[in-house]
Amino acid sequence: MDFADLREMESPTDKSSPIPPEWLAEFEAAARRPLETRLRYAFIHTYKPVLDDEPFRAFATMEEYRRWCETNLPEWLGYGRV
Amino acid sequence: MAAFDYRQAREIRDVFGSFHVRYLFLGKSGAILLGYPDTTQDADLFVERSPQNGQALVRALRQLGFALTETQAGEINRGKDFVQLKNGPFDLDLVFAPDGIERFEDAWSRRVEVEGYPVCHIDDIIASKAATNRQKDRESLPRLRSFREYWLKHHPGS
Repeated sequence: MDFADLREMESPTDKSSPIPPEWLAEFEAAARRPLETRLRYAFIHTYKPVLDDEPFRAFATMEEYRRWCETNLPEWLGYGRV
Repeated sequence: MAAFDYRQAREIRDVFGSFHVRYLFLGKSGAILLGYPDTTQDADLFVERSPQNGQALVRALRQLGFALTETQAGEINRGKDFVQLKNGPFDLDLVFAPDGIERFEDAWSRRVEVEGYPVCHIDDIIASKAATNRQKDRESLPRLRSFREYWLKHHPGS
């Protein structure tokens, strides 16, 4: 599958479905808030085991990073591939 | 480590701007800048990979207070695909080659400016999340796709 296929899959114009009312209400409420308020409530910090234990990590490839996550992080963090 | 906040987002925008760093907010932090109501823990930046941009990025990060050794600065300069920084005033993920987006230039041409913040288009944010195929991204995709519909309706032509 190439990049064009992926984009077609992920941003189809013919796949629109109704927005669930509770989500729509949330989107509209967020749109009424100024950016500063949105950011204040959006960023949280909780300790993530292993991931937060090193001050710096660099990976040559995304594949290397994904494999590192799958090997080293607890599954419940959700960084593993499906 | 305190949570990332508005003041720090503004510092990134201003300092990166002053050093002419080419970057885009990506991931959930990018979606949040577009108006998506959700929470996240750090900011993800899609950074253009070039020697000049790498050097500018290192200078900007040091100015922001990231304690980079020469070795670490070298790794950022060389543009490794993914760099995770937790040695500064806030957590930052630098992505030089995000899954699902082929070239920085393509994403740059589709970018959205939100109060001076350069942000990936919602389609690129969704494409990159979908391409990771991670559990945590899969769970967030249905709501993100609904937000895309809402956002496009309110930003015709985007």
